Amino acid sequence: MTFPDIMIILARGAGYTILVTIASVSAGLAAGLFLSVLGTLRWKAVSFFLGAYTYVFRSIPVLVLLFLVFFGLPGLGIRISPFVSIVLTLGLISGAYLAEIFRGAMAGVGQDEILAAEASGMNRMQVFLYIIFPQMFRMSIPGMINEFTTVLKYTPFAYTVGIPEIMKEAMSLAVMTLRGLEIYLALGIIYFIIYRLFVMLFMTLEKKYRIPGLAPE
Amino acid sequence: MALIQVRNLVKKFDGRDVLKGVSIDLYKGQAKVLMGTSGCGKSTLLRCLNLLVQPTSGQVIFKGEDITLPGVDVRKVRGEIGFVFQHFALYRHLTVEENVTLGLRKIKKIKSREASEKASYELNRVGMFEHRNKYPAQLSGGQKQRAAIVRALAMDPDVLFLDEPTSALDPQMSREVVTVINRLFLDNITMFCVTHDAFLAKYISDSIVFMDDGVIVAEDIAERLFYESADPRIKQFFMSVADHR
Ligand SMILES: Nc1ncnc2c1ncn2[C@@H]1O[C@H](COP(=O)(O)OP(=O)(O)O)[C@@H](O)[C@H]1O
Ligand SMILES: [Mg+2]
Repeated sequence: MTFPDIMIILARGAGYTILVTIASVSAGLAAGLFLSVLGTLRWKAVSFFLGAYTYVFRSIPVLVLLFLVFFGLPGLGIRISPFVSIVLTLGLISGAYLAEIFRGAMAGVGQDEILAAEASGMNRMQVFLYIIFPQMFRMSIPGMINEFTTVLKYTPFAYTVGIPEIMKEAMSLAVMTLRGLEIYLALGIIYFIIYRLFVMLFMTLEKKYRIPGLAPE
Repeated sequence: MALIQVRNLVKKFDGRDVLKGVSIDLYKGQAKVLMGTSGCGKSTLLRCLNLLVQPTSGQVIFKGEDITLPGVDVRKVRGEIGFVFQHFALYRHLTVEENVTLGLRKIKKIKSREASEKASYELNRVGMFEHRNKYPAQLSGGQKQRAAIVRALAMDPDVLFLDEPTSALDPQMSREVVTVINRLFLDNITMFCVTHDAFLAKYISDSIVFMDDGVIVAEDIAERLFYESADPRIKQFFMSVADHR
């Protein structure tokens, strides 16, 4: 088996890696957004819950949470697929980080603009949708890119629950061919390529939709 | 009947009286300027009138309805009052045109195309049409304030409130904005404007209301208030603003 052959097999596994990453980040975005919106309500019980959430999910190791979800939940009669398990795990964790990112960005939204929107007769929902969210989202882009790459680097854990992503493919190949050096080197290169491609994509989008005077600090 | 009738308006912040029984009338087509030392309650008064601040007691009768009563449609009232702020408060993430059309589309539910046409027309009137696709950060202070005035006016409000519209501008840019507000005055737009700018006050008002420490001290036309008032508070105020010019 030549190096290019190895690359091709691994590239197939990369598809799962990308899928897991995108699904997990999407789940994380949804969770993070929900949590940060909840945070704006400033209710005591809610803030306590949010504090506890971020504290727990930022300190628990990914693999522990993944096993808890995949092997633990069936004990409660909840059976979920390997794919849902990893997406749920990474989504919960990155949701905690993303909520912090959104919260920080939300603090940067112009208070006088919010007042102007209220003065013009918008309700709270409209103020959020048309003023707060667009500004917050743009200012969160660097943080979101960061979180995306973090999640990408957590995806190898998916192999532990049986998803045929790139890590799993690499391990089988290494066992079959006993050429660990080349295989894991190829694996590193592929991760790097995925990472670079996504960063380039985000940067291009960010540049295209950049707004003068609304740059994240 | 006056468009806005304020009766005995009181506003307390943390037990402290900021407005101590203000009564004032604003008629349709009338332009009034509100002057007074910093911190005397001018912004608070404006904000009570469109319910950005809830008055503690007293009445605000807007178009015949007491809007301080519970159950009033606050957003409807606000939608009928245009508000221009000292620091412009343009939406940073939107272009000039989008700043103007947002309220038209989302609050007045006007179709995008019509909203955009209206925005173009109104922007053109204040010399801002060529800047319609710029973002606030790309504008000078005077341009920002003109855009903010258009944003408020495009909603066809019953009255336009302006809270120190030229205070954040240098004299040159201030003049641009005064010119625009003066034209609104000549068009008989109903206005209530807070300013420290005696020049602006004179050119855009039918009468000037002078407030001190939460009470209205005097109301008169500019000439008489500026030059003939015997009230020491008023004399001192105009001496101090005259020094600045
Ligand atoms: N939201 C608020 N909470 C507490 N105090 C306030 C608030 N808004 C205004 N004040 C106080 O009310 C007084 C009048 O303020 P303001 O109406 O802004 O004065 P002006 O516009 O005449 O300069 C000031 O002493 C100010 O500190
Ligand atoms: Mg003020």
